[in-house]
Amino acid sequence: MTIAATIPSAQFAGILPAKWQAKKNVEPILKTENLWKLYHAGKVEVPALRGVNFSVQPGESVAVMGPSGCGKSTLLYVIGGLASASRGTVLVDGNDLAAMSDAERTKLRRSKIGFVFQRFNLLPAMTAKGNIAIAQYIHGDGFDPHRFEVVTKLLGLEGRLNHKPSEMSGGEQQRVAIARAIINEPKILLADEPTGNLDTKNSDVVLEMLRQLNKELGQTIVMITHNPEAVTYFDRVVHMRDGVIVDGIPAD
Amino acid sequence: MMGELIFRNLFHRPLRTMIGVLAIAVEVALVVLVVGLTSGILTETAKRVEGIGADIMVQSPSAQMILAFSGSPMPIKIADRLTEMKYVQAVSPVFFQFNSGGGIDLVYGIDRDSFRGVSGGFVFLSGKDMEGPDDLLVDDLAAQAKHVKVGDTYSLLNHDWHVAGIVEHGKGARLFVPILTLQDLGGAHDKASVFLVKCTRPEHTEDVMNQIQSLLPNYKIRPLKDYLSLMTSTNIPGLNAFVNAMIALAVCIGLLVIFLTMYTTVIERTRDIGVLKSLGANSPFIVLAVLYESAALCLGGIFAGVGLSYLARACFLKGFPTLSILITPEWILRAGIIALVGAILGASYPAWMASRKDAVEALTFD
Repeated sequence: MTIAATIPSAQFAGILPAKWQAKKNVEPILKTENLWKLYHAGKVEVPALRGVNFSVQPGESVAVMGPSGCGKSTLLYVIGGLASASRGTVLVDGNDLAAMSDAERTKLRRSKIGFVFQRFNLLPAMTAKGNIAIAQYIHGDGFDPHRFEVVTKLLGLEGRLNHKPSEMSGGEQQRVAIARAIINEPKILLADEPTGNLDTKNSDVVLEMLRQLNKELGQTIVMITHNPEAVTYFDRVVHMRDGVIVDGIPAD
Repeated sequence: MMGELIFRNLFHRPLRTMIGVLAIAVEVALVVLVVGLTSGILTETAKRVEGIGADIMVQSPSAQMILAFSGSPMPIKIADRLTEMKYVQAVSPVFFQFNSGGGIDLVYGIDRDSFRGVSGGFVFLSGKDMEGPDDLLVDDLAAQAKHVKVGDTYSLLNHDWHVAGIVEHGKGARLFVPILTLQDLGGAHDKASVFLVKCTRPEHTEDVMNQIQSLLPNYKIRPLKDYLSLMTSTNIPGLNAFVNAMIALAVCIGLLVIFLTMYTTVIERTRDIGVLKSLGANSPFIVLAVLYESAALCLGGIFAGVGLSYLARACFLKGFPTLSILITPEWILRAGIIALVGAILGASYPAWMASRKDAVEALTFD
């Protein structure tokens, strides 16, 4: 019997803000049930997620906090379809990622999920415009100039579109990354410590933009963060420890 | 968008791109020049033999297409028998010597009068015809290459010759000496390497060839009007194998350089590949991105290679005016296709490797 199998599933008891209380009966856009993720280190199975139960309502913004190594990033990768689940279910807009092949998850990711990373992860050879437009190209709908203009204006990137990442500040790069993530109007925006590489001023700008995306455009956001101040921008905060959600208990 | 991604990636690492382009260019130039040099020399040699003006060439049974390879001299008295034949206007015996000192030269030992009878004579650019036993005629290209002029003494086959005249090129060889002297030097008195036969009318060529065939059943009797078409690499022993080996070598160079270039590119862009995957790019997209980039690199190399081929030819011809390098559109196209196929093959494994990368590992790659 593995170590993982001996640990019971953690129960999620999220505290929804008032506006989501009214939407309790709405189907969650994201839902995990008894989600496990095991990594193999030689013959040893190392559990990164140990029965995570977690759900996010459409239009909700959720911050996931927890100490390093608690499984936050793994959770993000699994619910974003970048990594497969070892056990359990992951429902994204009604589609079970756990039952999908890699190709099917790729297709779903292309149409329903946007990612923002701590290290921006822009393509270094491309301009800001190219970095955003390539997401539209991969999405398959081609370049939509109207949508492009709206998004770049919203993120204040109009004057920086012809610059390469190496010619932009961290804050600008992260704004380009956000623009790239939302250009195809994904159902869920997943952000992995988006302020981790930014100073306080730029962190505030990025967090404010994420808040605006959520409040004004209704963008569902799940963000992983170490930043305690960041959580004030979100509807709900969940805490993780040792691969499980431990809501109600301060993680740090 | 894919095009922009590819070209921006290529320009992002200009040195690596230039090395890749240069490798393909060398590959293409190597193929074009090796083939161009062999076919150029063959064609030019054949044109020169055709340009003599004879209708038939008679060689010994063991003779080769390339005259320089022909040993086995024949008795010179055969010329008398050939002259007696119906429809034969003139017969000229020629004795060849292959000179490898100070360059590679085929020297024609000729009988001045009979050679004139067959060929209509030389066009003299300077000097006059051979009169003495040590007189030498040099064609204009060889004179330019060897920097000789009328009145010079020129050492050839361990013998000092007096340059009597500079003649227009296109009469078989580039160097002509009296046949008797060359026979003495070669220890082959009363021997000829080839007989050149001029018919009274070109349409009598076949009749005369039949007569010669009856007289000399096993001898090689060729109509010179077909000489050019017969002068192909397949008729030259080992030449095709050499050309193919050079092409294979060139392809290997291109393939390995592209493999290495794209392999390092994929490793360097591991994180980019993770990003593309996070955006929803599937495996075919990643594979195509790598293959298209290698194809674009290759196309640049092909254009550079064609330019390099013409540049190299110009340099060769400046240094060696007697060389002939035939660059044809057909072989440019072939070299391009060979390079492209090699590049795609070379990029296939890196492309597959890129498509198989784990997205999470790729995103966390440093």
